[in-house]
Formats: sequence, C-alpha cells, structure tokens
Amino acid sequence: MEESPLHQFELQPWVPMSIGGLDISINKAVVFMWVVIAVAAVLMVMAGSSRKLVPGKLQSLAEMMVEFIRNMIMETMGKDGMRFFPLVATLFVFILFSNYIGLIPGTYTVTSQIIVTAVFSFLVYGISLVVGFSLHGVKFLGILVPPGTPGWLVPLMIPIEIISQIARPISLAVRLFANMTAGHVMLAVLFGLTVGGGLLIGWLPFVFTVAIYGLEFGIAFIQAYIFTILTCVYLGDAFHLHGHEEHAH
Amino acid sequence: MPPPQDPLYAGLGQAVRIGTELLAALIVGGGLGWAVDTYLFGTIPWGLVIGLVLGLAAGMRSAYRSAQRWQDPPADVNKQG
Repeated sequence: MEESPLHQFELQPWVPMSIGGLDISINKAVVFMWVVIAVAAVLMVMAGSSRKLVPGKLQSLAEMMVEFIRNMIMETMGKDGMRFFPLVATLFVFILFSNYIGLIPGTYTVTSQIIVTAVFSFLVYGISLVVGFSLHGVKFLGILVPPGTPGWLVPLMIPIEIISQIARPISLAVRLFANMTAGHVMLAVLFGLTVGGGLLIGWLPFVFTVAIYGLEFGIAFIQAYIFTILTCVYLGDAFHLHGHEEHAH
Repeated sequence: MPPPQDPLYAGLGQAVRIGTELLAALIVGGGLGWAVDTYLFGTIPWGLVIGLVLGLAAGMRSAYRSAQRWQDPPADVNKQG
C-alpha cells in the first residue's frame, strides 16, 4: 500500500553505460523492448515458415493480421500506399505486442514511456513531410490551405493549419502514452486497495481490477489500431495532396 | 484480438481520437502564443490569448475533419455491399 502507483514506471539502470556523457544504460524498458521484438519476430517467423494452403492456428492469425493492416492501408491511401506496408506493419506489430506483453503482471509496458511513442510519432510525421515534399515539391505547402477556402480567410487559415499540423505528432504520441500509463496506474491503484482493504471490503476493488484488466485488453488493441490508422492517414495526406476532398466529390 | 471490423471498436477508436486531437491543438496553439510572447516580442498576454483562440479553432477543425473522414468510408462500403 505504501508504494506509489507510479512506482512501476520508474526505471533504474541495470547495466550502467555511457558514451561521451550520453546515458545509454540498459534498464527494464530496454530489456522489454528486446523481448517484444524477439517475441514478435519469433512468432511471425514461425507463422510464416509453414506456408500451408490450409493454414494452422498461428498462420491464420498472422494472415488475419497482415490482411487487417493491408485493409487499413487500402482504405486510407489506396493501392499506391502499399509501398509503406513494411513501415506500417512494423509499427502495428511492435505497438500491439508491447501493449499486450505489458499486460502480463511483472513485465514492463514499453509504450508507457513517452519517449518511445514520441520517437515513433515524430518518425511517422517526418516521413510524411519527406514524402510530401519529394512528391509535390513546394506545392506541398498547399496542405496549409484546404481547397475551397475563400481568399479572405487564407491569412487566418494558415496559422490554424500550422497549429493543427504541429499538433499531429504530439497528439499521436501523447494518446498512446497516456492510455497505457493511465491504464496501468488504474490497475495499480485498484490492486493496492484490494491488498490494503483486507477480506472484508477488499473483494470490491478486486472485482474492478479484473474488469479494468479486461477493458485494458481492448484498449491495448484499440490504441495500436489508432496509432497505425493515423500513420496511414498522415502518410496518405502527404501522398495525395487534397486527395481526400477529391474523393468526396 | 477483437474483430477489426467490429463497429464498436471503430467507434471507440474515433471517440478516443477526437478528444486528444482537440486538446493537443489547444496546447500547441497556447504554447506557440506563449513562446512568441516570451521570447520574441514581450507582448504578454496577447500572443497567448490569440494562440489559444487559434489553437481552439485548429482543434475544432481537426476534430471536424476526422469526424468527416469517419462518415465517408461507411457510405462507400454500403455502395459496394
């Protein structure tokens, strides 16, 4: 009970290391990032190794996942977007696996560190800028003026659009980080109450712990899904400049 | 893994999205305004006020856009199916 619910996110260096004053110590988060990569890689390689026409359980799960990611890309970017499949699939699989592995008691949720989610979201946003400018050149700045804006509104529209562009990577990073952190804090608080409450009243928070744990299973998937679909949307915006509006006609 | 096509999860995803979009744009707008005030012109609080208003507008706009985007695909699906 005397332990803070935020204690679970604190990182102590396990193997202290530094290069030129840069702290690169290996801690729990680093180790669990490796675990996530290893588990995801081993499962996907195992699923892909048999290549049966009638797939087994693991293979059909992997096929479902690939199909799911493919649909996300097709819906948001169209066929041309498939060149981003490796990036999008890597992000989805990594976030999904780290969310789910983090739900196992005693492990660490890599995505509850804002630096991890921020690196992903700024990477995605950076790629979308590079793609946009390399495809459309200076015309890509037209993303700041949505089509159909009356001339007198343009000076107002540009600062608004600049703000909403800057807000994109930030909201992407904060959303994933905040959801994972909040869920684990809630579980820690409720379980702390269970332990502190004893038999007489402790069953009540315990019921909630179980319920919230079930909810967290859904959240883990939803957050991985949202991060990936927004990656697709942002890349798609850069890909077809104002393409979405054209489709609407 | 819940079924991806489940409308409940699609809806939940949208709801979660719009909230953070509103907030992030407001924070970015306010932050930019404050930074302009403090480091560029020393015009506290006008930059902050204008930044917050613009941030709110930007947040509303991106929320509106994602809501619109949400409306479009089901219409297409209905056409095909």
